[in-house]
Amino acid sequence: MLRYILKRIGLSVLILFGASVIIYSLVRMMPTDYVEMKFSAQLAMGNITEADLARMKSLYGLDGTIIEGYFRWISNAVRGEFGLSFIYQKPVADVIVEKMQISFLISLIATILQFVIAIPLGVVSATKQYGAVDYTVTVFAMMGISLPSFFFAALLMKVFSVELNWLPLQGLIDATRIIEINSPEYHMDRFMHLILPMTVLVVLSIGGLMRYTRTNMLEVLNSDYIRTARAKGCSERTVIYKHAFRNTLIPLTTMMAGILPGLFSGAMITETVFALPGIGQAAYKATVQGDIPFIMAYNLFGSFLAIVGVLLSDLMYAVVDPRVKLGK
Amino acid sequence: MSDENELKNGNISEETESCSCTLNDTEGDDPSLGINAQKELKANKLSDNIKIMTPGKLILKRFFRSKLSIAGLIGLAFLFLFCFLGPAFSPYGEIEKVGATRVVETIFSYTVTDPGTGEEITMYEIREAIVTNKTPPTWQNWLGTDIYGYDVLTRLMYGGRISLILSFIVVFAEMGIGIFLGSLAGFFGKWVDQLIMRLVDIFNCIPTLPILLIAASLLDSWQIAPEVRIYYLMGILTIFGWPGTARLVRGQILSLREQEFMVAAEATGLTAKRKIFKHLVPNVMPQLIVSATLGLGGIILYESTLSYLNLGVPFPYAAWGSMIGLASPSSGSGREILQSFPNLWVPAGILIVMAVLSFNFVGDGLRDAFDPKAKR
Repeated sequence: MLRYILKRIGLSVLILFGASVIIYSLVRMMPTDYVEMKFSAQLAMGNITEADLARMKSLYGLDGTIIEGYFRWISNAVRGEFGLSFIYQKPVADVIVEKMQISFLISLIATILQFVIAIPLGVVSATKQYGAVDYTVTVFAMMGISLPSFFFAALLMKVFSVELNWLPLQGLIDATRIIEINSPEYHMDRFMHLILPMTVLVVLSIGGLMRYTRTNMLEVLNSDYIRTARAKGCSERTVIYKHAFRNTLIPLTTMMAGILPGLFSGAMITETVFALPGIGQAAYKATVQGDIPFIMAYNLFGSFLAIVGVLLSDLMYAVVDPRVKLGK
Repeated sequence: MSDENELKNGNISEETESCSCTLNDTEGDDPSLGINAQKELKANKLSDNIKIMTPGKLILKRFFRSKLSIAGLIGLAFLFLFCFLGPAFSPYGEIEKVGATRVVETIFSYTVTDPGTGEEITMYEIREAIVTNKTPPTWQNWLGTDIYGYDVLTRLMYGGRISLILSFIVVFAEMGIGIFLGSLAGFFGKWVDQLIMRLVDIFNCIPTLPILLIAASLLDSWQIAPEVRIYYLMGILTIFGWPGTARLVRGQILSLREQEFMVAAEATGLTAKRKIFKHLVPNVMPQLIVSATLGLGGIILYESTLSYLNLGVPFPYAAWGSMIGLASPSSGSGREILQSFPNLWVPAGILIVMAVLSFNFVGDGLRDAFDPKAKR
C-alpha cells in the first residue's frame, strides 16, 4: 500500500512537470505579453524607448527564449517561489490564498447542496425506473448538464435582479451602502449576493451526480443479493436503504474524494459573470492580460488538485471497498 | 406460456452473441440464434411464429423504445433543418444590414430663469432619433436586429451551422487520434502504453477551460484572420479533447485482447495492424459511438463558452455564444441588452440548450440500446 502510494506520488510529480512544460510554452508563445500591453501607449507617445521596454521585460523575466525562461521559472517554482503577480504586484501564492477563500466557500456550500439534493433524487428515480418520477428527474438533470453556465446566469439575473429586483446583480458587497463589517447585515448582504451564483453552480452540477447515483443504484438493484434480500422477505424499505443504498455509497464516496480538491480551484465562468472576486475570476483576468506568473501558478495549482483528486479517489476506493486491493 | 419461454431463450442466446458482433451486422440466414435454442425451436415447430431479430434490429428497437431518445432525434432534425436549410429561406445574409429602424426617445431637461420674475422653470424636451440597430421583432425580422443592425434569426442559423460543423469535425478528429493512440497503448502495452498513457495523464490533469482560454487568446495575439481562426479553434479543441477517447479505447482493448477470438486471430498469424483495426477497434465501436455523441454536446458547450468570452468564433461571423456574450452585465451596453433586449440573447441560449440536450438524449439512448445487459 505504502509502496503503491509512493509510486503514484512519484508519477504525479512527473505528470505535473509535463503539464508545466505545456502550460509555460503556451503562455510564452503569446507575443504580446503583459509588459508590452501595459507600456505600448507610452512607447507610442515616445515617453519610453525600446531599450526601456527591454529592461522592463528582463525585470519581469520575459527576456530570452522560452526554454531559458522555463528553467528559470521551474528552478524558482520548486523552491516554492512563484514570483510576483504582474497585476497585483504581490507574491502569486499570497494572491491565490487570498482569492481562494471566497471560491472555496461558494464551492463548498454548492457541493454540499448538490449532494443533499442529487443523491435522494437519483435513488428515487432508480427505484422507480421508467416511471413518471424517473422521466421528470432525468429530463431536469439532463437540462442541468446541457445548460451553459453563462446563459443560465444571464437568465437568473434577468428574472431575479432586473425584473423582480429581489437579488443584487453582481459582486459580493453592496457598494451603495456602508455596512459595518461582520455585522448581521453584512453577512445577510453577502448571502444575498451569493444566492444566484450558488444556484448556477448547484443546478449545473446536480445532473451529473444524480445520473451517476441512478446508474450505480440500478446496477446494485440488479444484483443477486438484492433478490436474496427480497426472497427472505425484507421490506422494500430495508432492501433499498439498507442493502442497496449502502453499496451505492461505494462509488459515491470515491467520487466525492475525487472532487474535493477541485473545490479550491474556483468556477471561472460563473465568477466572471457574477463579478465575484474569487480565484476563477482572477485567473480569467490574468489570462486575458498576460499575467504569466499568475497563470502559471494557477494552472499548475489546478493540475495539482486534479492529480490529488484522482489519487484520493483511488485510495478511497480501497478504503471503502474491502474487495479492492491496491498495488501492482 | 411455453411459446414465450422459447422466445426468451432464443433471444438470450442471440444477445450473448451480439456482444462480440459489430453494429452493421446483417446476416440473412440466422447464425446468431444459439444452437440449443434452434434445436428447441425445431422441436416445437415454432420457427414460423418467431420474428428473428438481428443485433442491429434489437439495438434499434431498444433505442426507439425510449421517449427521450426520440425527442433527441426530433430536436437534432429540427436543428439541422434550421441551420442548414434555414438560410435558404431567409431573405437576409449573415453579414447584411437589414435596414430596419426604430425610434429612440430621449428626454432632455434644462432649467431657465425667467428674466422678468426670476422664477426657475424646468423645461423638458423629448428628442426622437432614428437608429438602425437593436430593433424589436417585426414581421420582417422575426427576432429583431442586433447591435450591428443584422437580422438576429438569420444569424442564429449561421451561428448554429458553425457550431454543428465545428463540433462534428472536432469529434471525428478526436476519435481518430484517440483510437490510434489508445489502440497502440492497449495493444502493445509496456513502454508504448506507459508513454502514451502518461501523455494522457498530463492532458487530463491540466484544467481544460483555463488552458483553452490561453490557447484561444494565443490566436488573438497572433492576429489570425477571422476566416481561418475557426480551423485553429478546431485544432485547439481537438488537442485538448482526444485523451478521453484514448483512455476509453485502451481500457476496452486491454480486456478484449484476452478474449478467445483474439487468440484465434493470433493463431491465424494476422499482422498487428489487421488485428487492431479489423478485430479490436470494431468491438469498441458501440462505446465509441456513445462517447462521440455525448462529446458533440460537450464541444458545442466549449465552443460557445469561448465565443461568449470573445475568444471563439470571431466577428463578423455569428456564433450562439457571442450572441449571449452581448448581454454580459459587466459592461454598460451589456447590462442594457440584458435588461431591455431579450430577443438578442435568449433565443441563442435556448438553441444551445436544445442542441446539447438533443445530443445527450440520443447518446444516452444509444448507450442503453448498446448495453447487452439491458432489459429488452
